[in-house]
Amino acid sequence: MWKNKVWNLTLLSTILRRRTTLLSISHFQSNSTSHFPPAISRTSNFDFLGNSNFPGKTFCSESAEKSHVHVRCWSCGNVANGSLFLFCDSCRSVQPLDQSVDYFQIFGLERKYDIGVENLEGKYKDWQKKLHPDLVHSKSEKERGFAAEQSARVIDAYRTLSKPLLRAIYIMRLEGVDVDEEETLSDPELLSEILEIREAVEEAADSRELNQIQSQMQEKLDHWSNSFANAFQCRKFEEALNSIRRMTYYQRVNEEIVKKL
Amino acid sequence: MAEPAYTVASDSETTGEEKSSSAFPEIAIGIDVGTSKCSVAVWNGSEVELLKNTRNQKMMRSYVTFKDDIPSGGVSNQLSHEHEMLSGAAIFNMKRLIGRVDTDPVVHSSKSLPFLVQTLDIGVRPFIAALVNNVWRSTTPEEVLAIFLVELKAMAEVQLKRAIRNVVLTIPVSFSRFQVTRIERACAMAGLHVLRLMPEPTAVALLYAQQQQQDVHENIGGGSEKIALIFNMGAGYCDVAVTATAGGVSQIKALAGSTIGGEDILQNMMHHLLPDSEILFSNHGINEIKSMGLLRVATQDAIYKLSSQNSVQIDVDLGNELKICKVVDREEFEEVNRKVFEKCESLIIQCLHDAKVETKDVTDIIAVGGCSYIPKIRNLVMSICKRQELYKGMNPLEAAVCGAALEGAVASGISDPFGSLDLLTIQVTPLAIGIRVEENNFVPIIPRNTTMPTRKELAFTTVRDNQTEVLIVVYEGEGEKVGKNHLLGYIKIMGIPPAPKGVPEINVCMDIDASNVLRVLAGVVLPGSRHPAIPVMEVRMPTVDDGHGWCAEALDRTYGSALDLVTVQKKI
Repeated sequence: MWKNKVWNLTLLSTILRRRTTLLSISHFQSNSTSHFPPAISRTSNFDFLGNSNFPGKTFCSESAEKSHVHVRCWSCGNVANGSLFLFCDSCRSVQPLDQSVDYFQIFGLERKYDIGVENLEGKYKDWQKKLHPDLVHSKSEKERGFAAEQSARVIDAYRTLSKPLLRAIYIMRLEGVDVDEEETLSDPELLSEILEIREAVEEAADSRELNQIQSQMQEKLDHWSNSFANAFQCRKFEEALNSIRRMTYYQRVNEEIVKKL
Repeated sequence: MAEPAYTVASDSETTGEEKSSSAFPEIAIGIDVGTSKCSVAVWNGSEVELLKNTRNQKMMRSYVTFKDDIPSGGVSNQLSHEHEMLSGAAIFNMKRLIGRVDTDPVVHSSKSLPFLVQTLDIGVRPFIAALVNNVWRSTTPEEVLAIFLVELKAMAEVQLKRAIRNVVLTIPVSFSRFQVTRIERACAMAGLHVLRLMPEPTAVALLYAQQQQQDVHENIGGGSEKIALIFNMGAGYCDVAVTATAGGVSQIKALAGSTIGGEDILQNMMHHLLPDSEILFSNHGINEIKSMGLLRVATQDAIYKLSSQNSVQIDVDLGNELKICKVVDREEFEEVNRKVFEKCESLIIQCLHDAKVETKDVTDIIAVGGCSYIPKIRNLVMSICKRQELYKGMNPLEAAVCGAALEGAVASGISDPFGSLDLLTIQVTPLAIGIRVEENNFVPIIPRNTTMPTRKELAFTTVRDNQTEVLIVVYEGEGEKVGKNHLLGYIKIMGIPPAPKGVPEINVCMDIDASNVLRVLAGVVLPGSRHPAIPVMEVRMPTVDDGHGWCAEALDRTYGSALDLVTVQKKI
């Protein structure tokens, strides 16, 4: 976990390094029963919990052994007709969080990278209408807790699937391939390219120039998104990881531009 | 290190959240407490109904008069004349004053009001007083608001023939979490339990969602998505929201707001008519108060008239040989308030930008609030959105309170056989929440417009070798420097094992739960260890109290930059 210690990084990679993934507080609190309601469940926080303790592999085996086909509603005892069971259709109670259900299943999608993002929002809203904590305000403490967790997970699922980079990282993890978001940049070619772009962003005179760089970045992002899709389909995971790396850096440039605009 | 262990008590005086677990048989009422006017609405079983006071008014003036022993507010009280409100005995504009310290420019601009707003400019709460029998009787915005809420509560109880406890209140987007605790405090003083506080434009968004839902009824699974831009400007605040609505669910995409409103327009005009008015009225003598009141009424009238006519004649005798006789046309009015209008424009542009929405994708433009009657405001909203007309389905003065009443019914668990309450608003954080780092910079941890509930965290590190303590100072706002943001509280971390600078990882996690409660957690990890070096700190915020304005300064004086930290995150 500490292979990339802060103090022994080369200067360049220190600049390029962005710590989005950090030791989570929830991680070192995990032994004690949490003092605070888990607004977002631990395992779903890929973006900032993506360190090596993330149970990427266990996650997979969990979903593989999806054996609870005969789940019963905790409230009315009705048997769910399928493995996906967030909400009881019979008594309208929110069900406890089931980590074995992946984001693609939540959205009723096949597990693949190329998905129609347009339809996500509608499905997301449908779920929120059933699960959102605001709607169970008058129900039991227990069910309000379920709603908070389920709703937060659906928010995460929606956010993850609607963004190409997050979706790529997620689908890799479902395949048991861990994506180290903290890794330092070792490809000198990419490193110098990124530094050059970064300089261009810093020196951009006006918003027109920034917009120009931004559209270039978007082109690159689209290109590498396609490469990822192909590599992933052929299960060439090294190549897929490379695409993710590229997307990550172009994405950061974009974020920087947005800040400046 | 000789100090006693640092402990932080959580300030839960203002909320009765835990008590709310019992089932509510009653439907929460919606209250829109405006800077100038106020209204109450409730779901009556089939639709939203606005309640009227004994004088048949739906919109009641937001003020409290301290004339006799018992204060009386604008709900029950009948003013003999508009000027009575401006005699110094009535306190109004409390929504502009609540939760602000005496260094706040908004408090300073309130000094020209007829009652007393005195500041010492040191960051404590301002001294506010009403003139009763030639005595300045002190009060607080919370007290004034509570008195007013008690009247509203009594009025609703008489009409609905039941006890009222649960309310949904609308608040401005730009309210800090500290201001929110003051609103909750006022409600608690009035015996009301706050079920939900809704940013005003999100209440309007909920009403819009319901209207769209009714339009596409039968279309189960929720019609096509509609994006609306909501512009809400009243006397005190200007708020903007972009919402994406489908199937009765309103997902707030972005919020933007500022303390700018009709009151600023009024003051600009008063200043324009009588340039040295502030100096003239500064000592708050009986005669000055009277003159100020006369000028206020005359200016207000003129502004109203300019909404329908091109020019207006102002003719007013302020006494003390002060007379104003002037014709003002619309162009002049718009020039005098140019900065206000520019601010409105920038809020709309920012909100659209944050929502990542192009104007062509916006289905409806909704302008509500008292200021939406001003032609210049309507024009600027339409021109930014490149539209010829505004959404027509709402009463601009009643939209927010209707939305609050809908939310009250939904949050009380009421369902409607016709699906009229099949609604949901998914809220976002109106302001970024983060901490102070080196050189007084502000680093957001939860950015603004983050869907709630949420939890985010970032890692920080020390700036000095063998630094054993850090001070985590939590702020809310959009300024790049902490000075421009609202202080929410602080945590001091002690006992960090000595290490070279940049080595210890100080993780700061922020969690907003389903009840919109903010908790800040902080822990320290040393490289090579998976476990925290010292116990994690968890603090419910805001922890600051009234008069917190000097806190940041005092912290700075005592600690300087000795306990600074710096973000580990490197920007590329």
